[in-house]
Order: sequence, then structure tokens, then C-alpha cells
Amino acid sequence: MIEAHELSRRYGPFTAVDRISFSVAEGEIVGILGPNGAGKTTTIRMITGFLPPTGGTVTVGGRDLFTEPRKARRDIGYLPENVALYTEMRVREYLAYRARLEGMRRTDARRALADTIDRALLGEVADQIIGTLSKGYRQRVGLAAAILHQPRVLVLDEPTVGLDPRQIIAIRELIRELGRERTLLLSTHILPEVELLCDRVLIIDGGRIVAQGTVADLHQRWLGQASVRVEIQPGSASAVEVAEVLSAVPGVTAVRPVADDGSPHLWQVEAAGGADPRAEIFRAAVEQGWVLLGLAEERGTLEDVFVHLTTREEIAPAGTGSEAPPPASGAPGELPS
Amino acid sequence: MSAVLATFGRELRAYFLSPLAYAVLFFFLLVNGVIFSIIVSYLIDPRVPAGMQPFAPFFGTVVWWQLVLVPLITMRLIAEERRSGSIEVLMTAPATEGQVVTGKFLAALAFYLFLWLPTLAYPAFVELYGEVDWGLVAGGYAGTVLVGAFFLAIGMVTSALTRSQLLAALAGAAVVMLFIFVDAAGGLATAQGTQEAVGYVSVLSHMDELGRGVVDSRRLVFYLSGVVFFLFVAARMLEERKWR
Repeated sequence: MIEAHELSRRYGPFTAVDRISFSVAEGEIVGILGPNGAGKTTTIRMITGFLPPTGGTVTVGGRDLFTEPRKARRDIGYLPENVALYTEMRVREYLAYRARLEGMRRTDARRALADTIDRALLGEVADQIIGTLSKGYRQRVGLAAAILHQPRVLVLDEPTVGLDPRQIIAIRELIRELGRERTLLLSTHILPEVELLCDRVLIIDGGRIVAQGTVADLHQRWLGQASVRVEIQPGSASAVEVAEVLSAVPGVTAVRPVADDGSPHLWQVEAAGGADPRAEIFRAAVEQGWVLLGLAEERGTLEDVFVHLTTREEIAPAGTGSEAPPPASGAPGELPS
Repeated sequence: MSAVLATFGRELRAYFLSPLAYAVLFFFLLVNGVIFSIIVSYLIDPRVPAGMQPFAPFFGTVVWWQLVLVPLITMRLIAEERRSGSIEVLMTAPATEGQVVTGKFLAALAFYLFLWLPTLAYPAFVELYGEVDWGLVAGGYAGTVLVGAFFLAIGMVTSALTRSQLLAALAGAAVVMLFIFVDAAGGLATAQGTQEAVGYVSVLSHMDELGRGVVDSRRLVFYLSGVVFFLFVAARMLEERKWR
């Protein structure tokens, strides 16, 4: 339904989006996840035809956004990041205006209007002036306006930003409902949103896709490795010794001290493939005659994956390559080269 | 077409939903009423030669009104959409820049005409007590519409220049000023070519001609092509945002 190929956008010398390619199948719900400034909004603006790409192509429903803009745009319903409505209008008036702007016929528009007001639960406020509505209701109006013309693709840019928790839940409910019968692409920096709503996730950082897959995939790929925290009684052994022994434990991929000062008693140990190295670590410690004070498994959340993927360059100090997980082998095309 | 109508309808409604429109309407009619009553009381003075038409000085104010009306009517039209971000909705709908600009311009023109509509009562009053040369009145109103449309189209351009309404208004007023002072500059020029060129763009003298009942097709071409040209420029400027 959506095909982006080598899509790029530069603003002067600054590259906001750098040759990203992805596709969204019909009926799929895909989330674009990324920190602020990662290029989410720029990507979305190119998909909706607001911004022309400086490189690459994007098609929606098989039509190029820039060679057949009017036909392609009819297939898209779009909720921009800052839902800018005309605050002096009434909800019903505004929706009627949007329907006409989309080129709907009067009778179709009337039917769609009644239907949409129902679905977005706007009945109570349909005759209110938009300026008097809460942010949650305005978001609903924006969503309602985006689906009026029955687009096959719905694109939402940060649909829950700035809402209170109850409004967020209500808007998510509505989004999930709308996603049942159409293709949906949404951007967010809120992780649970992705887990709750999306079939698939694209994680964007610095204008590139750093990972993509289903939520379960990402969990498995990036969190498959267990992390174990090992505490050894001070005085048992030197740091070099401990590092050597722990690294030799089968399955262990990385060993590093928790404290910066290199004190030898608290260690973080990572193991590949979801293996649990605790038993082996215990045995090794006993063999060496160390006193183990603690041995705790730590499993990450999607949050960790995200933080990990989007901050690796700034955080990882030079020389300690141990923080980066092994790039998933046998998953071609999933990581940018 | 439906996009033009949708934009037109929404903008026209926006005028009448904003307090500014009523304030403009109020002061416009107040000042115009005062001007007209001064003109009438001057004309009924027995020392003034009989047979003078009160409407020539009345239509003489039209160009000066542009200085105030054009910025007020047009400043919001595009600048506000860009500031608030609603332009994103507008430009992702299946509507072209040209359609959006045309719809907005027609709404501005409709509001402008609405402002002048009540002044039709003035000649009607004069007709009650004396005689009105309706040909001259028609010429004056034709000029009012042409000059208004021309400057409103320029206002569309200045509103597309910036996201600040204030800047848009200032730029609009500055351009109107320029056209007013071209006339004075023409008076200073000695070369015949310069005078002709100035005459071609001098709105003040065009209004004067029309107020005296002289209808010149060159003027019609000038104003209509001006409107088309400036709307085209405004549409291109709206498109230009894409490349920044």
C-alpha cells in the first residue's frame, strides 16, 4: 500500500531523512518509532505529499505522490503532528468543509459526516466551536476529518502527544478501531503505544532505519540475550582475573564492570541466544573459590531496545565495543549497511 | 472546482466569524458616511456652482482606502495557515495551490464588495433630492471593484511571503503606497515615455478617469491581467515552501 524507496530529504546541508526504504502492506498497522528529531515527521510529510523528497520515490496505492498527486492524495487520510484546526468554526462545519475540500459529493459528504461524527464519538460536541474544545476532543476532530473521505491509508503523526492519560487511552481505542479496516502508519516516540497498536515497527534514528520488524521480533532479536548481574565479595579476585574467568564461561558474549572505577566486585555479563549463563557462572566462581554475593538475571524491555538503538553512538565510549549486540545474522535487509 | 468553492466558503465564513471584520465594517461606514456628508454639505453651499457631481470626490477616496482595507482583508489569508500549520491539511488534500489561492482571493473580494455595498445608499439618497448621473456612479463603482481586486491580489502575495500577519500587512500597505506615489513621480517626470509608463500604472488617475465616465479598455486589461499575475505569483510562493 505504501512503498518508500531510497527516500531522502535534505534541508540545505542537513540531511533529515537519509535513503530510507520500507513498505507497508494493505491492512497492516505500522509504527514509526524514533526520538525527537529522528526524521519521523519529515518521513511522514513525504508520504502524505506535503514535502517533496530530495531523493527517492514514494507511492501510495501504487500512485506516485508527486506525479499523480491528486489521485494519490485521495487515498490518504492524514493527521498532522500539530492538529491545526480552524478554531472559530463549529465541529460540524469544519468537517463539512474538509469533506468538500476532499472533493466529496454533497450527498456522500452528508452521509460520511453523520457516520464519522458517530464513530469518533463527537455527537455531543458536534455543534460546539472548536476553540472551546479540549485537546482530546480536538484530536478526535482531526482524526474524524482524516477519515471522512474513507481513505484506504491513514497516516497519523504523534496522535497522542500532549493528551492526558485518559484522553490517550480513548484516542488509542479509536485508532485501533480505525486500523481494523485500513492501512495505518503512525509515528510516535511513546513505546507502549507501538506495542499496543502496531503489527510492525520501524525504528528511525538520525534519518535512517536502524531496525524493523514485528514487536515480537524486536524483543527476540535485541533482548534475546540475557544480561546477568554478578556480585562477588570484595577481595576475592582482581578485576583482570574476574573478567578473564567470566568471559570463558560458555555462552557469555560480553563482560564489563558495572562501576566506572573498575572495582572488581560488580559485573554485567551478557549471553547470546537467550541462554541463561547463571549456573555456569556459579560453577566457575566455586571453582575459583570466590564468594558469590549475587547472581541476578535482568531482562530488558522494548524501551531498552529503543534506547540502545537510538543512543549507541553517544553513549558507548570508544574502545568498549561490548555494548553493541551482535548484529542479527540471517536477517538480510533489516539493518542499514 | 470543489476545492475553490470549499476554500471560498470557509474563508468568507471566517471573515464574518471574526470580530475584526465587524470593526472594519463599522469604521469604514462611519468614515465614509462622514466624508460623504462633508461632500454633500459642500455641494449644497449656494456659493458652489450648480451642477457639480458629488461622486467624483467620493470615488477619489477609493485608492486611499486600499491602504487600510487591503492589509486588513488579506494579511490573514495565507500567513495564518502557515503559522498555525493548517496549511499541512490544505496542501495534502487533493487541491492545488492555484485552487486554494483562487478560493481565498474570491472570498477577500466578496468581503471587500460587501464593505462597499451599503455605500450604494448614498447615490440613492442624492437621487431623492436631486439628480444623479448613474453612468458616472457605475464607472466609479467599476473602478472600485477593479482597483480593489488588483490590490487584493497583491495582498495575497504579501500574505504568502511570511507567516507573520503583521509583516504581511505592512508589506501589503507598502505596495499600495508605491502605486499611489508613482502618480506623484509621474508628475515630476519630463520625458514623455516615462509619463506614459507612469500613466499606465497610475491607479489614482485611472480612478479619476472612471469617475469622469471615461472607460478605457487598456485599464481593464491592466487590472485583470494584474489580478491573474499576482494570484499566479501567490500560488507559486505557496508552492515554494516545499523546497526549503
